Amino acid sequence: MTEIRVVLADDHTIVRKGISALLRAAAIDVVGEAGDGRELVRCVRDLRPDVALVDLSMPRLDGLEAVRRIARRHPETRVVIVSVFDDAEYRICAQRAGAWGYVRKDEASDRLIDVIRRVMSGEVCLPVDGGAEETQLDALTPREREVLQLIAEGRKNAEIAQMMNRSVHTVRNHRARLMRKLGVRSGSDLVRVSAERGLIRLGAPPKGLTT
Amino acid sequence: MPVKIAIVDDHALVREGLNQFLNGRPEVEVVGTAADGRSAVELAGRLRPDVILLDMAMPGLDGLSAISQIRQSAPSTRILILSMYDDPEHTRAAIERGASGLVSKASPPDELIAAIEAAAAGETLVPGVRLSPREREVLGRIARGEGNAEIAAVLSIRLKTVEGYCGSLMRKLDTHTRAGLVAHGRRLGLDCPN
Repeated sequence: MTEIRVVLADDHTIVRKGISALLRAAAIDVVGEAGDGRELVRCVRDLRPDVALVDLSMPRLDGLEAVRRIARRHPETRVVIVSVFDDAEYRICAQRAGAWGYVRKDEASDRLIDVIRRVMSGEVCLPVDGGAEETQLDALTPREREVLQLIAEGRKNAEIAQMMNRSVHTVRNHRARLMRKLGVRSGSDLVRVSAERGLIRLGAPPKGLTT
Repeated sequence: MPVKIAIVDDHALVREGLNQFLNGRPEVEVVGTAADGRSAVELAGRLRPDVILLDMAMPGLDGLSAISQIRQSAPSTRILILSMYDDPEHTRAAIERGASGLVSKASPPDELIAAIEAAAAGETLVPGVRLSPREREVLGRIARGEGNAEIAAVLSIRLKTVEGYCGSLMRKLDTHTRAGLVAHGRRLGLDCPN
């Protein structure tokens, strides 16, 4: 089994060395370390890790901008934010910047390792109210995120099915699961809550849409 | 003989990480960890570590009160603050209450180990400055306005020795005047007898 390759970015050197030691003990390969945003982007460019663990409060090119650059230039590297901050605002910003996961520093190392493994298997781990149970519910698969975005654009099930090359039955299942995960009972609530949590991009609706 | 240390930080990831990392270093041995000030005081009293690494920004019992209480429950335990910032006021308040000094979380690991060993040896350290126990004592007395002759008498050492300490202190603190020493001593909170 190939080890997961990780780059770790935090300006608190001692904290970084500590997390690095924990990951190595869990057979996760720490291939690089960075102390600021610029170094981080360089590291990702040169080493192409599977995951980048990023502390948001770093000097010289702030964490969020670094995350955006990585998401844009090296989308195969999945970013997990590791932060002392416990703010819904931060998590939404992180998600919008392209992060796959968000872990607080007051959570145990098991949680960080769990999130790294989940993100590697394609799950988005961005808890809104904190707590592992919440994350179980809120973690959306890439397919679910795709469906959610199309629903937000106002498309009907049949249209979504055609675009995703799936049956309408499958699309309805995804919609139901989305509503359950996000705790809503209607399509419009689904869009509203998703927008609030920054899970979808709301822009101008596509042409040809009848309101 | 490895220095016995305890790690206190409310962030689990930081605490576990430090534990894992420091356990791999031969210079130290982690004997316990705690996630808040009150537990830290308990731990100090029970395990009597040589040095406690204490994060200041914790909820519940604040760091400064924890320092005072640890000094009471475990007087032989040295306290080293792990800080996220380099705030002189912070440092002064901590040393005033009896901490050995402060190490920034941005320091490289070797610096942390060196700081732990220095604290265990009774030294006082703030970023850039390391004072021996005797130097700390003399600087404290200078800051309180005592003259060299007085200091020599109280400490039962020769006047020349006291003058020697003044010299090394001036060098370490980068000042040419006694007033400068007084200022540094007060800045570090050494003017309050502890």
